[in-house]
Amino acid sequence: MPSPRIAITGLGFVGAVGAHVSALEAALDQERSGLGDLTLFSSELSREYPVGQYRGDLQADFARLVRPLSAREAGRLSRSDLLALVAAAEALQMAALPDMARRNAGVYLGQSVCGTLSSENYYLDCAAQAASHGRASPTHLDRLFVHDGANSGDAIAREFSMGGPMASLMTACSSGANALGLAAARIASGQAQVMLAGGADSLSRIAFLGFASLGVMSPEGPRPFDAARKGMCVGEGAGMLVLESEAHARARQARVLAWLTGYGHSCDAHHLTAPHPEGLGAQAAMKQALADAGLAPSDIGFVSAHGTGTLDNDKVEALAIARVFSTRAVPVSSTKRYFGHTLAASGAIKAVLCVLALQRRRLWPNLGLQKAQDDSLDLVTQARPAPRLQHVLSNSFGFGGNNAALVFTAGDRP
Amino acid sequence: MSAVVTGIGVVSALGSGVEAFKAAMQQGVNACAMHEFERMGGAKAIAPAYRAVAPDAKGLIDPRKLRRMDRLIRMAAVSARQALNMAGLQPERGDVHASRLGVVFGTAYGAIGTTQEFIDSWLKNGQRHASPLAFMSSVHGILASQVALDIGATGVNLTLSQRDVSFEAALSSALSQLESGRADAILVGGADELTGLLHEFASHFRYVESGPTAGCDPWGGEGRAIPGDGGAVLLLEREGGPRRALARVEQARVARHDTGREMLDDLNLAGVDLVTSCRGGSRRAFTLENGRSRVLAKRLAAPELSHRGNFGNFPTAGALQAAVNVLMLQGQVFAPMAAGRQRQDLVAGCRLPRRILHDAASVTGLHGAYVLSAV
Repeated sequence: MPSPRIAITGLGFVGAVGAHVSALEAALDQERSGLGDLTLFSSELSREYPVGQYRGDLQADFARLVRPLSAREAGRLSRSDLLALVAAAEALQMAALPDMARRNAGVYLGQSVCGTLSSENYYLDCAAQAASHGRASPTHLDRLFVHDGANSGDAIAREFSMGGPMASLMTACSSGANALGLAAARIASGQAQVMLAGGADSLSRIAFLGFASLGVMSPEGPRPFDAARKGMCVGEGAGMLVLESEAHARARQARVLAWLTGYGHSCDAHHLTAPHPEGLGAQAAMKQALADAGLAPSDIGFVSAHGTGTLDNDKVEALAIARVFSTRAVPVSSTKRYFGHTLAASGAIKAVLCVLALQRRRLWPNLGLQKAQDDSLDLVTQARPAPRLQHVLSNSFGFGGNNAALVFTAGDRP
Repeated sequence: MSAVVTGIGVVSALGSGVEAFKAAMQQGVNACAMHEFERMGGAKAIAPAYRAVAPDAKGLIDPRKLRRMDRLIRMAAVSARQALNMAGLQPERGDVHASRLGVVFGTAYGAIGTTQEFIDSWLKNGQRHASPLAFMSSVHGILASQVALDIGATGVNLTLSQRDVSFEAALSSALSQLESGRADAILVGGADELTGLLHEFASHFRYVESGPTAGCDPWGGEGRAIPGDGGAVLLLEREGGPRRALARVEQARVARHDTGREMLDDLNLAGVDLVTSCRGGSRRAFTLENGRSRVLAKRLAAPELSHRGNFGNFPTAGALQAAVNVLMLQGQVFAPMAAGRQRQDLVAGCRLPRRILHDAASVTGLHGAYVLSAV
């Protein structure tokens, strides 16, 4: 029996350029970056590296979309949880699922930072007390409640009474893409008719100082695939998508925004953080995704690159794309300069962006590019209409050599 | 499609390796002992716990690779190698193509000790001198990646974090990947480490016993759970392969149990003759656990066992219970009187099982379940 097609019927977004898909579209159309100073917490390095910080009020956003949270409820939610909840609420509203469908729906969420912004506060308070008084009184232990990775998916399932399959995927910066691919597999196998899937991560000291310690952050922000690129910048955000079996979506006459048609996944098994020098794992993921979609490389009209702006990633990703699609065969763009590298949310936000590209038949430019690192890619330097765009591929790569690729296909016309 | 278990590996308070684990289980050993934990600020606390022994990596992992692994990764990587050895599958020999061999792990807290080490590095040396090595190893997903790096597996590679059902979530995902044809063999496991910080957290909220104790008492309901740590791995393969099958995994699911939807409705429970659960003896979970026992008793005329009295209570202890379940289906371990008092009405008539339902519902609202049968 052939697997059912996976329809995308709802989208949600929060990031440095604002909350809601409309804010994302506006930033893309205006070619506006949301990068700026880090103000969420203090750091010796906050003036050295820009970040993609969401400047709005997440609790107010949630209150507008769903309901106000009590102080007790808000105290049990991390910033990552709130980002996930706001994006989930928007996606569910857009999909307009009937109650029964929502109750049987599952939640697959990619995360990496999780609630560490809260737990590191606890740890730092205790460490400060211990330094000044010789012992710590653990008055902030409740912040550890939100540390673990299941919290955001759990918060979504509880809030929207979703009783279907659940998973929190932790594959670093490919988590959001893997969550989408695995959620689609649950529908394909018949275990669910509807899944809410995506990724969410907040800024945290651990991520900010961690990437700084690796020497991969850029003081001028990311310039993906540029010859003079100096590195990445961390961001925060969430992207959520409602996935349904075709039969379910058609039966309720939902508008199909796009189809999730292919998923590929691999591991480099090469190094903890550095990609395989020939991008073998990245190539394998892209080839698998194409095979899964039943498409040839020439069918793809756009590649949404992982494109972090680091020396290693962009060099290897360009090589891998050129090997799979051949040199300059397909338009390529990275959106990391719009909202930074949102880690586990990155693949899911890019998925939202791919659906918008298919809906609007438009490609947005690779911001920050002045002189390409080499001649292997057809990089999108200014907004480009794509009237015949039918299939797009999105790459996401993470620490540990974790690679994921997704293929999206045009849905119903707006 | 069903998948079969062809190998298991265990590092726990009961020892390192399946033979040590099996021998201890056969004797009903309760591995609870007093351990020292360092509190924030340097104070020490002595408390009962089931801390895993040092993983015996000799002959399994290159010492140079081992040096780059923290305690959590070592437990996972050594368990994975044990499972491969038991199955007689050598990735280096090309027994399975690297791209068809996957690694899927569950962990609730990941490398929390290394995360603490990373924060300490910037507190001690300044933010400009934080440790890059500690940062790299602190990322949750590194658990499955490090195991893949050790064995050269380039296929499916996932780490899941689902609190008390993290292992069950990993099992469910691994099964789904085998079913969809994305892998031929997957090492699926669970691992968590008990650190001083976690112990302090659990003690503060009175989740754990703080005085001397005889260990977890799954049906006692009077005390608190005794924490522990460790790791266990099952090698799952598609049925019909060249290696000997130890047990068959038929279905695995994870969802919330408080949404009014009963997950057991999705499972085929026909022929189930034993239920294993995640009872740990905590007062906090007692009402929920008794409720689940009643639900199970209504559906199944099968005894219910929990072995947390042997190896302790921690988020991924479900992986160790899965190893016990495979051994029980093999007829190699059968311990109806597992450590801690079992409820006589529930274990009455207990005999070697042929089909086991594992039902793990936790106070966090999460519910994991799977069906395992003899081959």
